[in-house]
Amino acid sequence: MMHCTMEDLGALQAREASVWARRHITTCAQCQAELEGLYQRVAQLKALPALHPPRDRWPVIQATLRAERSRRRRTWGTWTGSLALAASIAAILLIQPGSQTPLHAELSQAKQQSASLEDSLKQYDTDGRVMSGHAAAVVADLEDRISMLDGTLAQQQQSAREDAELVKLWQQRVDLMRELVNAHATRARYVGL
Amino acid sequence: MTVAFAVPDVIVARAQAGDEAALEALYRAFETPVYNLVRRILRRPEDAEDVLQETFLEVVRNLKQYRGEGHLWGWIRRIATTKALMRIRREQVRQTESLDEEPGKPGMHIGANLDLERALETLSETSRAVVWLHDVEGYTHEEIAEQMGKTVSFSKSQLARAHARLRRMLDEGARA
Repeated sequence: MMHCTMEDLGALQAREASVWARRHITTCAQCQAELEGLYQRVAQLKALPALHPPRDRWPVIQATLRAERSRRRRTWGTWTGSLALAASIAAILLIQPGSQTPLHAELSQAKQQSASLEDSLKQYDTDGRVMSGHAAAVVADLEDRISMLDGTLAQQQQSAREDAELVKLWQQRVDLMRELVNAHATRARYVGL
Repeated sequence: MTVAFAVPDVIVARAQAGDEAALEALYRAFETPVYNLVRRILRRPEDAEDVLQETFLEVVRNLKQYRGEGHLWGWIRRIATTKALMRIRREQVRQTESLDEEPGKPGMHIGANLDLERALETLSETSRAVVWLHDVEGYTHEEIAEQMGKTVSFSKSQLARAHARLRRMLDEGARA
């Protein structure tokens, strides 16, 4: 005698069974027991206790979100800062065409290093990879400090003055950018990106 | 495990505005159902933890797009399921694992006191996903097929084979 397959039983459970299966189940005790077993297994599956995460993942998620938020702020700050910088340079060139002081050379070098580090940062997938809580916190802290520095630089550049203070700020930015690139490079080496 | 709870709209609105306390409240409300869902699908606990983290990062990044249509849990569950299934696909590509059921963990003894939990563990991740999504989460075969990028008949046959295997395992366990 032919009996219901597990697919037939599934179809019976879903009320999508063939005419043959619907008729057969009314007369076959064996298939009725199988169908009952299927219902019981599904009920047991639903009754399995909930599994809880072994560790609290919120601190890592929070640190990652803060880092992203800070990066967005910094990107905006850099962009607006760049506009101000471009305006300042244009103003200086108009006022003092061809002037090249040692201070100016130092400033140009720091800006160039900073731009080069920004380019280096682009090679790492800074958004796409899950970080450890510690790494994310380090990156978030660096990005916050760079963001604050960018704010100060933007204010300084409004005055269009090239003094030692401005050079020092740009050099600080280079140091922080270098630390940030190193943090991403270390993580990339670790996770194989 | 079936989930039937709601998060107050005010918490969702605050979370959408980026309020960190509200985001944490959202995480606390859904961390167990999300982890339970993905852990039932994925074999390794550490994979389930990673998917839990990835799910919430995506939830937060896209929360503004959630317009309140349908249950919030349904929206989060879909993200979690997609991420768990993506991880299975990645693993399959890596290991060229067969989509068919696999014969349990290497060296695993199927014997006395085998219960449903352990029987479930012996299924492949694909089979576990189909069983869990269909029987517990209430997905239709059409929905499972869509999420897995497979056909409806694939989903149906995976479910039937998974149940045949579970039944056999439980019978063997009862006899041993």
